[in-house]
Amino acid sequence: MNAIEIKGLSKNFGPKQAVCGLDMTVPMGAIYGFIGENGSGKSTTQKMICGLIPTSGGSIKLYGKDYTDPDVRACMGVLIEAPGCFPGLTVWDNMMLQASNLRLRNAEEEVIKILKLVRMEGAAGNKYKNCSLGMKQRVGIAMALLGDPQLLILDEPLNGLDADGMRIMREVFTDIIKDGKRSILVSSHLLGELQKVATHYGIIRHGKMIREMTAEELDASCRTYVSLQTGEMNRSKMLLGCKYSRVEEDEAGYIRVYDLTTPEEIVTYLYDNGICVTEIKTDKIGLEEYYIDLMKGGK
Amino acid sequence: MKNNFGSRLGSMLKVDFRRMFKSKLFYILLACALVMPILMTVMMAMMDGSVTVDPQTGVESVMVGPENTWQNIGTLPGGEAMGGMDVFAMCNINMIFMIVSVFICLFISDDFRSGFAKNLFTVRAKKGDYMISKTLAGFLCGALMLILYFVGAVLGGAIAGLSFDLHGLTTMNLVMCMLAKIFLMPVFVSIFVLISIAAKQKAWLSICGSLGGGMLLFMMVGLITPLGSTMLNVVLCLAGSAMFAIGLGIASKAVLNKTSLV
Repeated sequence: MNAIEIKGLSKNFGPKQAVCGLDMTVPMGAIYGFIGENGSGKSTTQKMICGLIPTSGGSIKLYGKDYTDPDVRACMGVLIEAPGCFPGLTVWDNMMLQASNLRLRNAEEEVIKILKLVRMEGAAGNKYKNCSLGMKQRVGIAMALLGDPQLLILDEPLNGLDADGMRIMREVFTDIIKDGKRSILVSSHLLGELQKVATHYGIIRHGKMIREMTAEELDASCRTYVSLQTGEMNRSKMLLGCKYSRVEEDEAGYIRVYDLTTPEEIVTYLYDNGICVTEIKTDKIGLEEYYIDLMKGGK
Repeated sequence: MKNNFGSRLGSMLKVDFRRMFKSKLFYILLACALVMPILMTVMMAMMDGSVTVDPQTGVESVMVGPENTWQNIGTLPGGEAMGGMDVFAMCNINMIFMIVSVFICLFISDDFRSGFAKNLFTVRAKKGDYMISKTLAGFLCGALMLILYFVGAVLGGAIAGLSFDLHGLTTMNLVMCMLAKIFLMPVFVSIFVLISIAAKQKAWLSICGSLGGGMLLFMMVGLITPLGSTMLNVVLCLAGSAMFAIGLGIASKAVLNKTSLV
């Protein structure tokens, strides 16, 4: 059984079609990275899954049941756009309100446990409006995690988090799916961070799913390249450009050769042309580059 | 975990009452309900009989203050002026029916402005719980305000040295009058809840709409719940409230189901 199964989902805002015929499958026990440009329909899709906006067409099934089923919906945690907290109340009060909303039996214990998990136990007495951006984001994540939800829907949860916060979130996410029953649907523009935890990906463009794949499939489709630096960068680039079909210079000033080749072959070729290679390594393109390539290809 | 209606409504009520009792606005409105009749009664009693002269026309006008404590609650038999539309009939306990709209509008709009509505509606597929809970919270606030206004009116009357004579009515009539007013409150609360749910985060819109909508029924409050109320008035108010609460509740639920909740 899949955690989320969407077929032909669509949403119109007047004449504008925000989501059109979207199909999506989030398996149980997956961390599903939901990727797309701004305005591609990620948040709208997530809101429809949570029942926050009515759909214009299509079907959404959560754990095999319709998304309007009260039992399924009672087991969801959500963080969409901004944490839903009352600014005038303290972090503790906001958490306790959510605990009441979720009908938690040991509310106080649960709240303490989750606040500790996101390293916010020391700020429980602070008014929410006085918290920093990162702290607010942690509170939002804590509220989503409260009550041990079966399905977590997170929209840009890593925004505003510091390096420690991101590390904690990665640990929390991987811990959540350990039992293989719980699932996370997470959208983020921080693709490097997402790649560290995601087990599945879905790439959306103009409201349509353009690719769905597992982390293994992504890994297999990510090309390797040779990255190098020489004493004469411009001449090297020109020479390599004559021999290989795709040669580029990256932001760090390295020359990248994407063709199937070996560092030895490149070193020998440049040496024969009187150029000394100072640094060379093989690497693989990441999710970010894969995504950018896909977007460019789609244009 | 049970997910039946009672359990869902119970948890929603817990959220709303927890929030309500943490809200400064709630206590400010209760304090206003208590202090307002005291200040109004004492000040108007002090100004009773004072003469003001229009400097241009030279016309004298005499201020008429309250004579009886119960004028704050309703018009006494034989005391009607302009068909019951005298200043005390307008500026008395019935004002609470309008003031409570401020609480309901801000209470509901805060759910949407803060984004807490997303947390609520994600785990609640049944929107009826939300609407019933808000109606009950608004009713409790309104009922408390009515009771405090009554206490304030009695205190104000005692301070100003006004008569407590019921002019032929009994204490039971007074009790029935207060009960009728309390049981009439859900009529107004249901209207304010519907308008607030439709306006969502736009508090100014819901307050203006509620004041406008409430004004249409406001004139009838004095007639339906007079000082000489009987059990019939109470039953009529209760029946009216049930009808309004159910009818407008269904409409509110439809609005929640058909519109965006963020």
